[in-house]
Amino acid sequence: MYEELNMELTDEHNMIKEEAHKFAKEVLRPAGLELDKIYDPKEMIKSPVLWETLKKAYELKYHTVLLPDSLGGAGVDPLGAHIIFEELGWGSVDLAISISVSSLPAFGILMVPTDRLLEEVLFPFCNDKDASIIGCWAITEPDHGSDTLCPYTPQFHNSEIKGQCKATLDGDEWVINGQKSAWVSNGTIATHALLFVNIDPAQGMAGGGICIVPLSSAGVSKGAPLNKMGQRALNQGEIFFDNVRIPEEYMLVGPDAYEGMVDIVLATANAAMGAFFTGLARAAYEEALEYSKQRVQGGKILFEHELIKHKLFEMFMNIEAARAISRSAMVYNYTNIPPKVEYSIASKVFCTNVAYKVTSNALQIFGGYGLAKEYPIEKFFRDARAGLIEDGSNDSLMLTGAHHL
Amino acid sequence: MAVFGSTDDMYEVLGNLWKELFKDKEWASKFRESNLTIKFTIDSPSGEIWLLPDKEESVVCGKVDRKPDIEMFLKGDDCHKFWMKELNLPLALATGKIKAKGPVNKILKFLPMLKSAYEMYPKIAREHKII
Repeated sequence: MYEELNMELTDEHNMIKEEAHKFAKEVLRPAGLELDKIYDPKEMIKSPVLWETLKKAYELKYHTVLLPDSLGGAGVDPLGAHIIFEELGWGSVDLAISISVSSLPAFGILMVPTDRLLEEVLFPFCNDKDASIIGCWAITEPDHGSDTLCPYTPQFHNSEIKGQCKATLDGDEWVINGQKSAWVSNGTIATHALLFVNIDPAQGMAGGGICIVPLSSAGVSKGAPLNKMGQRALNQGEIFFDNVRIPEEYMLVGPDAYEGMVDIVLATANAAMGAFFTGLARAAYEEALEYSKQRVQGGKILFEHELIKHKLFEMFMNIEAARAISRSAMVYNYTNIPPKVEYSIASKVFCTNVAYKVTSNALQIFGGYGLAKEYPIEKFFRDARAGLIEDGSNDSLMLTGAHHL
Repeated sequence: MAVFGSTDDMYEVLGNLWKELFKDKEWASKFRESNLTIKFTIDSPSGEIWLLPDKEESVVCGKVDRKPDIEMFLKGDDCHKFWMKELNLPLALATGKIKAKGPVNKILKFLPMLKSAYEMYPKIAREHKII
């Protein structure tokens, strides 16, 4: 573990940290390593290891960290949420993302809590103990990746740039047609989507809507799960919508609030990513530190070689900075509506960059063994790379964040 | 033209709304159980309205030397529209017309308690001749 610099952590926070770390160490880490080894992603999503892990996460309510206890969620405060997310990321960042993104439809309903949506979706999700209700964040499309995540920029209002997945009101139902990309996390295992659609193309991306779609609805089909370099325990895949009908009430917001809601969801998700990748970086650093105190080269342990010491300290420093910025961003943005999205973006960009550098340096410290599957380091390195791209590619996010400066 | 001509007018209407609500023993008890201290910081006209979990003085119009659990920031006209159900809360939050400060779980604990206020407000607004 790490030295806790926040001297005002409560007993509850400390308990949360211990429990989350135990779960991460005993369940997530071994599960992540095992699932990573399954070559065919179609087989990975059938693996009992995946479903037992998700079930255990649900039993401990880690799928409801973003949701309040008054509605059946875990009800942790923003600092508690960060503590949990960092530990889950430490365990296995892919499974951490899967567990957390599952709550996106419920999180969307939280912003617009009608009785019907609470009864039909949110309460069952919060009370679910066997991972039978799984959510996904269905936003990116084959032609639209990071440009779906740039609210309050001029391009977001460019009528030439609009989403392909469309929703049209027909009586008291919305009819949805289109496709979401292969990057939808939990895409092929999800039961519900927080779906981002285009309603008014004349407004460009800003003319969107956000709705809840039960993925058992007629007209929904899914692509094959994606085969990826890293984060292989995180199922991702396309979702297709062919004249899918949802009740009017399932459209949470329309174009008048779409941009603001994208901003809120982006701030929430990016803040979480900052925490997850702080955990991943820490996991790699701890492995490298331990290895450096055992492996002997040139007649002494690696740790006694100055360049290794220097490298390790740089890793340590960056992880502490990552924790500091990601905690501050999350606490502020989970407490203020509207959030300051540029801080969540800063957290996500900084922490994913740190995770990439730290895992790379950790692998370097392991030397040849770092490339071998016998050690977890090569998985951590592969998992870290996606962080620079998922939930908005870092370069694009920085431009979006810069609009707020 | 602004709905509330002055801070005192606004206190008269909105302060009354909350005081009437607290006369409902069940509502008052539910609010006190939540143990929330809520501050409405209103602009145009400027003022503060506090809801406190204290039995002696639950509604205070004006400054209070405490730290709120939840603080809502909004303009006087938007306050009126909100209670008249002409301003949707998620829309208002997403577009920044209403800003909220405080843990989301506490804000959401408070939201269901607003239902009674929605029902009461139009009558109070009529009595004060603002509709």
